[in-house]
Amino acid sequence: MRAQLMRRTLLSLVLGLLFLSTPAMGSCLDNYQELLGQLQKQADFMQHTSMLLDHYISIQGLDKDGLKEHCQERPGVFPSKDALQRLSRQEFLQILNNTLGHVLHRLRTLQKDIPKAQDLEKLNIAKLNIRGFKNNIHCMAQLLPGSLEKTEPTPTGPGASPSPTPISDAFQRRLEGCRFLHGYHRFMHSVGQVFREWGQSPSRSRRHSPRRGLRKGTHRTHLSSRNKRLMPRGWLPR
Amino acid sequence: MALFSAFQTTFLLALLSLKTYQSEVLSEPLSLAPESLEVSIDSARQCLHLQWSVHNLAYHQELKMVFQIEISRIKTSNVIWVENYSTTVKRNQVLRWSWESKLPLECAKHSVRMRGAVDDAQVPELRFWSNWTSWEEVDVQSSLGHDPLFVFPKDKLVEEGSNVTICYVSRSHQNNISCYLEGVRMHGEQLDPNVCVFHLKNVPFIRETGTNIYCKADRGDVIKGIVLFVSIFEETKDFSCETRDLKTLNCTWAPGSDAGLLTQLSQSYTLFESFSGKKTLCKHKSWCNWQVPPDSQEMYNFTLTAENYLRKRSVHLLFNLTHRVHPMAPFNVFVKNVSATNATMTWKVHSVGNYSTLLCQIELYGEGKVIQKQNVSVKVNGKHLMKKLEPSTEYAAQVRCANANHFWKWSEWTRRNFTTAEAAPSEAPDVWRNVKSVQGHCVVTLFWKPLSKLQANGKILFYNVVLENLDRPSTLKLLSIPAPANGTELTLDQCSYQIRVTANNSVGTSPASVIAVSGDPGNKEVEEERVRGTEDGFCLSWKPQPGDVTGYVVEWCERPGDPLCDLQWKNLGPDTTSTVVSSDAFRPGVRYNFRIYGISTERIPYLLEKKTGYSQELVPSDNPQVLMSNLTSYSFTLSWKDYAAESQPGFVRGYSLYLKSKAARCLPGSEKAVLSDDSICCKYKIDNPKQKTFVVENLQPASFYEFFLTPYTSVGEGPQGAFTKVTTPDEYSHILIRVILPMIFSILLIMILCYLKSQWMKEKCYPDIPDPYKSSVLSLIKSKENPRLTIMNVKDCIPDAIEVINKQEGTRKSLTETEPTKPTYLYLLPTEKSHSGPGPCICFENFTYNQAASDSASCGHVPVTPKAQPQLGLLTSSENGPKALGKNYVNSLGEIPAGETNLNYVSQLASPMCGDKSSLPTNPPEPALCSEYKTQMAIPMGLASPPSITLLDEGEHDH
Repeated sequence: MRAQLMRRTLLSLVLGLLFLSTPAMGSCLDNYQELLGQLQKQADFMQHTSMLLDHYISIQGLDKDGLKEHCQERPGVFPSKDALQRLSRQEFLQILNNTLGHVLHRLRTLQKDIPKAQDLEKLNIAKLNIRGFKNNIHCMAQLLPGSLEKTEPTPTGPGASPSPTPISDAFQRRLEGCRFLHGYHRFMHSVGQVFREWGQSPSRSRRHSPRRGLRKGTHRTHLSSRNKRLMPRGWLPR
Repeated sequence: MALFSAFQTTFLLALLSLKTYQSEVLSEPLSLAPESLEVSIDSARQCLHLQWSVHNLAYHQELKMVFQIEISRIKTSNVIWVENYSTTVKRNQVLRWSWESKLPLECAKHSVRMRGAVDDAQVPELRFWSNWTSWEEVDVQSSLGHDPLFVFPKDKLVEEGSNVTICYVSRSHQNNISCYLEGVRMHGEQLDPNVCVFHLKNVPFIRETGTNIYCKADRGDVIKGIVLFVSIFEETKDFSCETRDLKTLNCTWAPGSDAGLLTQLSQSYTLFESFSGKKTLCKHKSWCNWQVPPDSQEMYNFTLTAENYLRKRSVHLLFNLTHRVHPMAPFNVFVKNVSATNATMTWKVHSVGNYSTLLCQIELYGEGKVIQKQNVSVKVNGKHLMKKLEPSTEYAAQVRCANANHFWKWSEWTRRNFTTAEAAPSEAPDVWRNVKSVQGHCVVTLFWKPLSKLQANGKILFYNVVLENLDRPSTLKLLSIPAPANGTELTLDQCSYQIRVTANNSVGTSPASVIAVSGDPGNKEVEEERVRGTEDGFCLSWKPQPGDVTGYVVEWCERPGDPLCDLQWKNLGPDTTSTVVSSDAFRPGVRYNFRIYGISTERIPYLLEKKTGYSQELVPSDNPQVLMSNLTSYSFTLSWKDYAAESQPGFVRGYSLYLKSKAARCLPGSEKAVLSDDSICCKYKIDNPKQKTFVVENLQPASFYEFFLTPYTSVGEGPQGAFTKVTTPDEYSHILIRVILPMIFSILLIMILCYLKSQWMKEKCYPDIPDPYKSSVLSLIKSKENPRLTIMNVKDCIPDAIEVINKQEGTRKSLTETEPTKPTYLYLLPTEKSHSGPGPCICFENFTYNQAASDSASCGHVPVTPKAQPQLGLLTSSENGPKALGKNYVNSLGEIPAGETNLNYVSQLASPMCGDKSSLPTNPPEPALCSEYKTQMAIPMGLASPPSITLLDEGEHDH
């Protein structure tokens, strides 16, 4: 068990460094398929509860019968899988980017309730992973028509819930934290599935092909209008 | 002043009198009651804070008062706390008092009231209680909100082992609430229908992040809880203070664990010195500095207080400053005047006070070990002479100091390395020699062992070898051999020499090592003995020599198989007759040879004994190549003379011969043995290792045997190899061979003779039948004018005459021969038809020819062209021949009765016209009269006479 934990930690470190390598190098992968593959793998990796939730439950003593049943995702905090699937690719990336920004913020809050430095290790690795993942989202957005820089951050809706009002009660805080992390892993699972669908859907892929493939402008215009018709930007269905 | 005091007292008494009067008038006593009572709460600390004031005091009046405070819970009649609080009261002063509730204030409604009384000796008449204030109600529950369930206290921080009271407040009467501590259900007491209280005693530390206590309603998804932060606050250990310079005190301690506290709530440390009354807040968790005041305070009483959110812990330390001096490490440390055996160490110490003496300790290290230790008293400068040092040796000297009067701690070491000077080598080198005689010269190889460090006293630069001819003592020869050589080779004449070897370093020369070489090499034949090696080495012993012996030398090679040999020797005293030779170089399975020499008084070594042995014997590494000879029906001989038993990794003690046969019982001299493959065979044991042949006897003739020979040592036998197969010959086979071989030889000889004389045999036994083509008549025809006339064709011939051939066998002529033969013609039958031939011929049967013709298709016929078809044609015709011959085959013509025989052989005269191929189809040849050629054919009896009978078709005419 300890060895497995160690392996996972090492893997996390490697992946974290991998995630961070791109911004450190100051350039994005311009291969759409390769970048999509990376995003899929990263999402698959981050969806595992062992990366964050299990450790949090353990150090906060929530692994007790009658208590862990209450560590369930609170509806509305993270976008559902259906909602993510209905989004256009640009909107999806934007929602994903914003949501992960909130996750980062929330992780910083959770960090305050963890006194021991060694217990913070997992949390810090998770933050590294999320930052790297956000960077890859940014890179993917560059390859899609309409990059993230050009769009304003999506207003906070059901899909990107803001941090809840500060809770002074430590017990409620840790329970909420647990629920939040549960939702986070579920969300990353859905994200991975959406990315997988991107790879499996040549038609959609063609419609939302990378920028290099969309330099013929007529196609691009058509795509934008269609996507907007599919799902208004910023709106996430449950 | 006294006047003023008297006036004040008078005024006060007057005032009190006035009040008393008023009271009596109004029928109520004058009291100093608390007023403006306010109650506030501190939920986190579970405290009620009360504040009030007393208004009825005169201006600048101060009175000691006592206030009785009552606290009730849930209802005012349920007073849970009564306390008298005494204090000095001024007019309109706000008084404060706090009370910490065991029960979280949110769990129940609390009410507070108080009353006061003067408790001052100056006015004893006022010592009565005032009226109670009205109940001040503290109801936190009402402000909790609308959540269905609450648990209190929130985020309470307690020390491990303390008691804690917890409660839940439910908004619904219908819900059944159950509460758990870390998953374990708790049972409490119902304070009211909505509030339940749980008393936790001796709470344990579970984890850094606190203990989870939570309550759940049986309906819905309601869960509420608290985190109880349990802290471990250990006592501070190892508190100690010391000074290094009498200016600063350094206090250190081992902080106890304060697990369970958040960083901001962790403990802080304060140092307080009671004599000076000074206090300092320590910045570090394990040490703190204290400045020693210049007023030479000697005694110090420190209190170290560790304090966290929950409590304080203190430790005390009382000491005299001069007793806690930890000197600084010595400085300016030098090692001077370093000779071969002495060195002086000097150093300085930091002064500690004006009159202090330091005790310094000097340690001398050689090869990593302490070899000298000395204590020296020092004021400021220290000095120490180190003696009995070894020349040319590296040393390390270190010094440290402590307060000599009141030892507290040693200072750190200060260390210096130095090397002593060289001295002349103290010992003569250990020299040995190897003497060989090469081409009338004596080749002496000298070996010497390098001197040990202690003996060399420095770096050996060279070795001097002085050769002195003993026969001519005035002749000396000096050789200087640079180090690090450990030997040299000298070519000497057969004269005796004395050799002196000395080692030299930069300072001087060692004593000489003397060895002599005599003209007689002394390699007398000494029988070699075997010794047995052990793990400890070889134990060698020899007989003491009767004469004067100055010592013994044991010599051996550590690498016997190596040409360089790596000669080793061991010098032993004259009284020694045994020694143990051990070496890490000894390997199992290697034979080591030892030579024991006695050293005469002239320093001449002479060989005494030879020993050989293995440090550990092994099984033979290989098996001999066995040759088999003298194979008879009953025995065979095996030999392995080329086998080198000496090269085996053990002394070969003998050989084992394994013999396999079909016989169930082993032959005499052998015994049954089981091989490693579980097969059973017979084993002969040859105990003599020098025996290299063996006769296997008593075998069975014509039997199959397999044998395998392997040597054995004391450890075991050699590797198992392949068996050699042998089959003994039959008992009578040699007799048969003696008869059959000459017979075969004779037959072969006869056959060869027959072959060589085959022509002769043929002529004698079965001579050739004359070939008509090869007849001399051809030459006769050729001699005629008409060249077209050749051989007569059979069908063209009319048998009319018999040619009697009188011709010698073996004198056949070729057709080209022109020598005419003289034919003899016998005309038997006159032809009925007209013939152009000159005369009649005689016809008769020629059985010899006939038989030959039937036997061989080619007999006597020389084809003009070598075609098979005509031969076949002849065979076809001859097929009729034997048929026709039938029983008449052997009968002569005269013997055949007329009318009974069907066929008759008729000789034909060869006509010169016959056989002309070109004219054959168109011009039938006419028989030549009395031609030399004769041929025979079988014809039916009835047709014998007509000359037109044709036995061969047209295609066969060329016969």
